Amino acid sequence: MLSLQTMATGLTIGGYGEITYNDPDSGVSEIDVQRLVMLFAYKFDDRVSFITEIEFEHVKEVYVEQAFLNYGVSDNFNLRGGLMLVPMGIVNEYHEPTTYNGVERPSLNNKLVPTTWREMGLGVYGRINSASIRYQAYIMNGFISYNDGAYKLKGTNGLRSGRQKGAESVGSNANFAARVDYYGLPGLKLGLSLYNGKTQTTDKSVVGSQVGLSMLGFDARYVKNRFSSRFEYINASLSDTDKYNLASGKDLGSKMSGYYIEGSYNLLPLTARQKLDVFLRYEDFDTHAEVAGNLTKNESFHRKETTFGFSYHLADGAVFKMDWQSKGTAVPESESKGQFNMGIGVFF
Amino acid sequence: MELHRKINWSFVLLYFVVLLCSSFSNHENILYKNILKKVKKEISKVFVLEDFELSPIQIQPNEELIADFSGNRLLEISSNDTKLGYAYIGTAPSKTETFEYLVLFDNQFVIKKAKVLLYRESWGGEIGSKRWLKQFLSKGTDYKFIYRQNISAISGATISVKSMTNAVNELLSSLNFLIQNKII
Repeated sequence: MLSLQTMATGLTIGGYGEITYNDPDSGVSEIDVQRLVMLFAYKFDDRVSFITEIEFEHVKEVYVEQAFLNYGVSDNFNLRGGLMLVPMGIVNEYHEPTTYNGVERPSLNNKLVPTTWREMGLGVYGRINSASIRYQAYIMNGFISYNDGAYKLKGTNGLRSGRQKGAESVGSNANFAARVDYYGLPGLKLGLSLYNGKTQTTDKSVVGSQVGLSMLGFDARYVKNRFSSRFEYINASLSDTDKYNLASGKDLGSKMSGYYIEGSYNLLPLTARQKLDVFLRYEDFDTHAEVAGNLTKNESFHRKETTFGFSYHLADGAVFKMDWQSKGTAVPESESKGQFNMGIGVFF
Repeated sequence: MELHRKINWSFVLLYFVVLLCSSFSNHENILYKNILKKVKKEISKVFVLEDFELSPIQIQPNEELIADFSGNRLLEISSNDTKLGYAYIGTAPSKTETFEYLVLFDNQFVIKKAKVLLYRESWGGEIGSKRWLKQFLSKGTDYKFIYRQNISAISGATISVKSMTNAVNELLSSLNFLIQNKII
């Protein structure tokens, strides 16, 4: 009886990009095509699709940001495999410039959750409409801590330099990543993320070449009329960092934790096509929340940052941003550093 | 021996490929059947009925109609010659795909149920939430839904939320036109 139009199959092209201008109080300013990412999605049929994102960073560096095959087994159960985003916190998954405030992503999402954090993996994904829940669970490859004599992880940015990004990656230990989103209350979305496992090494016999990692994330987003807010909390516990630091001479912390909280208000009426969000964000995070062995805490790794600015959404998917940042640390009597940022972001 | 094994394996593989291909050959038909099955199940639940008839309502194309009424999308629900209500099966865009949704109306074209029948894209599927879709209930054809005002936002699903809101608004105003002009 029903005869809907033929469903579109085949290729979809999309992408996102950000062009940024950073002007710190001290030092030279930078103008950069920070990211330009082309999305290609190919739908083989209604159940099977392949999604990939090719990224150009700073114009000249090429990466594959995502490349996975999705198989929809049923309405609420999908299988997924390939190079995927690790579902930790808000911004790692939703990192397109129109989806967050600020020219730069929150600093927590650089040093604590190393966005864009992606690894090879395999797992399940789905939604339960009756319970307003989205779930994800993957077996994934992890950060590399030791690669043929080179130690990758360090105190200032924790795990960031250990990302393998699916490039000839070393896989010595499987890791587990999972996330649940709940959106059953109007305007509110809650998320709980878990990541558990061990870092990768090219030689397991080297003492201190691996550390254990257990990361927990809790986040909340609330939108009501012209007001919106978000909160993200991350706690990462690392084991055997004393052995790792001893072997490497690095200063990796044994616990990294922190949060940010942000509120924004749309100055334009809800019926307008455009949106002008003014926002204020406060971040407090520490990549040396705890240290093990002989390591002394470096207070400069405890950051306290405030960002104030606006996001002018010219259309859905096109934004002009401007903000001012004050970046301080817990070092006694240290002075905060200021920075002015401006940027253009698109998502299509 | 080794070669034999390889040949055997390739036959097994070929068999599976053929099986897979044949299972997908009639894919579109199966898809519509599944959608219709879901529609019937929903009508059963909402109108608390085991037996009912669905008859398509043909609407002539008209420039004033924003909603799509082709392909038997608007159906009259009746039981034992008593008209009970209407069902509309729509297609709306998500970010890079389309999704199918169902709106059930009573006799007076007041919304009794809104449901996402088939959502294809990985992102934005949160609009399938029963709780979120409840916001459309009990409204008539003269009502207008406004995103973030009387329809709450879902973070991470903005495009699909707006699309569904828009689709229901277009459906209501089109139905309103049809009623005003005594076409239905």
